[in-house]
Amino acid sequence: MLTRKQLWRAARDALLYVSLCTVTFIVCFPLIWALSTSLKPKSEIFATPPTLVPRTLTFENYEALLTGRQQYYHSGPQTAPSGPTPAQFFTRWFVNSVIVTAGSTLISIVISTLAAYSLTRFRYWGRSVVPYFSLLGYMVPSIIFVFPLFLMMVRLELTDSLWSLIFGYVSITLPFCMWLMWAFMRSIPIEIEEAALIDGASRYQVFRQVVLPTALPGIIAASIFAMIVSWNDYLFGRVFINSLDNLTLTVGVMLFFEGTHVDWGLLMAASVLMTVPMAILFMALQRHLVAGFGAGAVKG
Amino acid sequence: MRRLHALLSSDRAVGLLFIAPFVVTAIVFMVYPVVEAIRMAFYSYNPLRPDLSAFVGIANFEFLFSDPLFWDSLWQATVWTLLSILFQTILGVGIAMLLHRALFGMAFFRGLLLFPYIVPTVVIALIWRWIFNPEIGVVNYSLLASGIIREPVYWLSTPTMAMASTIMLNVWKYTPFVVICVLARLQTVPLELYDAAKVDGAGFIRRFIDVTLPQLREVLIVVIVFRTIWTFNKFEEIYLLTKGGPGTSTFNLAVYSFEQSMASLRLGVGAATGVVMMIMLLIGSIVYLRITKFGEEVR
Amino acid sequence: MRVKDQHTNKAGLGRREFLGGTAALGLGASGLFGSKSALAQSTKTGTVRVWGEPGPYGGVGVAAMNEWAQKNAPGLKFEIETIPWDNVYVKLMTDLAAKRPPSLISVESPIAMQMMAEGLLLPVDDLVEKIGRNRLVDGVKWDYWGNWKGKQYVIPAHHQPHLLLVRMDIVKELGLKDPDTWDWNDLLNAAKTISEKKQGMAGFCMALGRNLCTDYHFAALLHSAGGRMYDPSNKYEVMFDSPQTVEALNFVKELRPYMPKGAVEYSFLQVVDAHVTGQTAMSFYWGRTLGRAAEEAKPVFEATEAFNHAKHPKTGRRNNWNDFQGWCIPAQNNPFIEEVKQALVYQQTSKEWLIKYCHSLMPNVAPTYKDIADAPELKNHPFYQSKSKTVDTYFKASLAHSSSTANELLQGPNPLAGYVHGRSILAQTVQKVVIDNMKPEDAAKWGARELEAIRKENARLLG
Repeated sequence: MLTRKQLWRAARDALLYVSLCTVTFIVCFPLIWALSTSLKPKSEIFATPPTLVPRTLTFENYEALLTGRQQYYHSGPQTAPSGPTPAQFFTRWFVNSVIVTAGSTLISIVISTLAAYSLTRFRYWGRSVVPYFSLLGYMVPSIIFVFPLFLMMVRLELTDSLWSLIFGYVSITLPFCMWLMWAFMRSIPIEIEEAALIDGASRYQVFRQVVLPTALPGIIAASIFAMIVSWNDYLFGRVFINSLDNLTLTVGVMLFFEGTHVDWGLLMAASVLMTVPMAILFMALQRHLVAGFGAGAVKG
Repeated sequence: MRRLHALLSSDRAVGLLFIAPFVVTAIVFMVYPVVEAIRMAFYSYNPLRPDLSAFVGIANFEFLFSDPLFWDSLWQATVWTLLSILFQTILGVGIAMLLHRALFGMAFFRGLLLFPYIVPTVVIALIWRWIFNPEIGVVNYSLLASGIIREPVYWLSTPTMAMASTIMLNVWKYTPFVVICVLARLQTVPLELYDAAKVDGAGFIRRFIDVTLPQLREVLIVVIVFRTIWTFNKFEEIYLLTKGGPGTSTFNLAVYSFEQSMASLRLGVGAATGVVMMIMLLIGSIVYLRITKFGEEVR
Repeated sequence: MRVKDQHTNKAGLGRREFLGGTAALGLGASGLFGSKSALAQSTKTGTVRVWGEPGPYGGVGVAAMNEWAQKNAPGLKFEIETIPWDNVYVKLMTDLAAKRPPSLISVESPIAMQMMAEGLLLPVDDLVEKIGRNRLVDGVKWDYWGNWKGKQYVIPAHHQPHLLLVRMDIVKELGLKDPDTWDWNDLLNAAKTISEKKQGMAGFCMALGRNLCTDYHFAALLHSAGGRMYDPSNKYEVMFDSPQTVEALNFVKELRPYMPKGAVEYSFLQVVDAHVTGQTAMSFYWGRTLGRAAEEAKPVFEATEAFNHAKHPKTGRRNNWNDFQGWCIPAQNNPFIEEVKQALVYQQTSKEWLIKYCHSLMPNVAPTYKDIADAPELKNHPFYQSKSKTVDTYFKASLAHSSSTANELLQGPNPLAGYVHGRSILAQTVQKVVIDNMKPEDAAKWGARELEAIRKENARLLG
């Protein structure tokens, strides 16, 4: 026999679950719907009433993207190759995105870790200014400096190369990686290092064997944010890259949307595929993410 | 060689060596572009004819301040920022309160609710255009089928609805940010405070106002200042969904700057807009520093 | 784009000029160059970037060039990048400013003329001779595509007018007159009648968004009313603040209630969509709508015919906006100039490839050369049987009413048009009226001010 209090509590929990489920459904609905659309054949995409769970399951959209299926226009008796369609470049763009994301994150993390260590462990002129500077730096929106940076890339002859994007993303991600690493390093007690130093270890040994392992959670958090920012960027990719071969996913996928025909199934499949890598990262490293937010140093 | 080694192992040298890559990168890829942006604000610059660029004094700023579209963009950016932040804060706190329970499966919900934050803006914009399509979109279908509306809603075709749609997108994507920050803070609120309030006979709402809110005050202020600065200057969320339309009804300063630079080939005017944005940002940052008393913490 | 060998091959031009003369006759020019010219092969390697519109024809053009490359420059591969219309200006700016232009561009005349006046293009008079100066179809001139200060900068790819597409099944059902006889009032009445009598169907659709499509659609109305943006004969003075502009704006305003509700954000894609999915009975559009309808909605395709635009009641003009689309070659930072020239001549003198080009999206891209337009092989397409009048209207009958923003009322080239479209001035003027409810008189004044600003900023182009 349940007491009134237990009943009351059960009812409250049930209500809580219901509201949580509702909120979660609303939040996730756009993504669920995208997934559902991407798995439907063309005829079902426009069916009324629309179906949430595809009646006929098809992977043709994913196949088209991953195998780069050539598309044709049918005009009377002749089929003309449509010229390169975005689908044919999808895998290439995916690889490009991975390269620039990994490259810029690596550079940002290495530089910011070294710098944060230096700032928190050594005394020299200006060391208290740098964090201020970073703070300001990561508030500056990229639209302000995208064109000067672009003109600089032109002078360095780096446009239309993945390097331009790697450096570009370093300029966006470095300030907040710096800020986050600095906040993290500051919270690591100095005593362990001092003990190691007294025991005769060199600075480098201490850095490698003591500091880096302790700073790892901070490094992971900063990397996730750097990766999200680089992977999701549209503006730099749009401005810096000229040829189809060197585009990244975000800019490339927008090309699906223009012209006089939109293949929603293909577009949604592309959307799903470009969300997946970040989703996996996110799932795997979620708890570090919260640590990063805690440091108050998140770009978004 | 030995000398070099000695130098490298001296503390000061190691410190400078470690900070050097940051300083170099920051100067080349952060300071220089921003300085250059400020310089460009005083030049006329047609990217098709860089050879014709010339110093024009404050002409670009005069152009800005006499362009009604600039003022419209400023006003629209303000509206979009305030409403976005308002909804993000309310929803963010609400969801955080829901999630702040030691119930079974909470980690699962937490994961899903934070998900939008990592979804690329391009993807959201495309999905938005698909589900909010007035004729074939699922949102209109559901609303019509359930009898909530009689006529399809044109989500992106009237100035008001387009603004509402971009705000919805922004709220959807960035509410998780607020949730995470608030949740992190909630977890540090001492439970005794609630127990004391309960003993005093305070109900749920009273407890929220008397105990929770004061505890959240600090983190909320920080979050709001941060989000205001970023939301005000957002480019992709608007550009990818509406391109600033219909008309110019969802222009903000970032879209205005982009359009002036690219479509109108007036990089100077675009840069001048950037300078205005930077000044406002500086004000925002000073507010932030004041609030968090950042300077006092530095050892 | 990597150039491993900068060595340029200039041999064999004398012989090619001779062959060009043969091609000018327009008889069986197909494959002439590839098979007979004994050129030393170009040894360059890499990808030759070519810009084209979204659509299959650019791909066909490039396929022809690749056929040339196979024989004459085996290390080269021509690759088409289709640039969506609304992206052209961003792409133009970033690629040219980055000093990485494509090696060949297929683009509508306002942009071609803007680039040519800026000195960014290579003069191509030598190619005109090889292709054949006297081949153009009746009713057009070389300068419609791009001629500046006596030099030709653009080689015609196709001409492409937007016309009035009408669902004849609806017209018959409601007992409306033959659309060929309509003036503006008849068009308005037809739109009204259809909207009122057909459930869930708009009477008429044009683009009203802040984009290129709206610019082009509105330009046709402006020109039919006898209005203009600039006067090339009088130092390009701005003519936009005129009763004609107001009239055209008023007409859009009157049509607005009979258009789909979302039209204020429509661009190219959505106008085609609206017609193909049966949301509208009439629309302004190029031939592409028919191509898409044939693929996706047979009944719509069968019922749709194209007409020259409704007459303006006073002027009697029925102007369309014709995209005199041409090939042009960026002059700077272009590592493949010689190869592109040869490949272009090869494509332009191959009857087989030019017909394939037109056939790839019927009846959107109209032939520009007499020998192609009159070739029996061109008729070898099912649309020619089922829709011969519509195809002929697009290909030939429309030319008598052609106009363009880059050559308004065909009274002279105007290099400012590119800037006008880049900033969507016409579209914004229309939007002031249909979204902001501004008085057409004031909107015309606003537009005129913007046009004047463009004229002032770019005075250097006009001198």
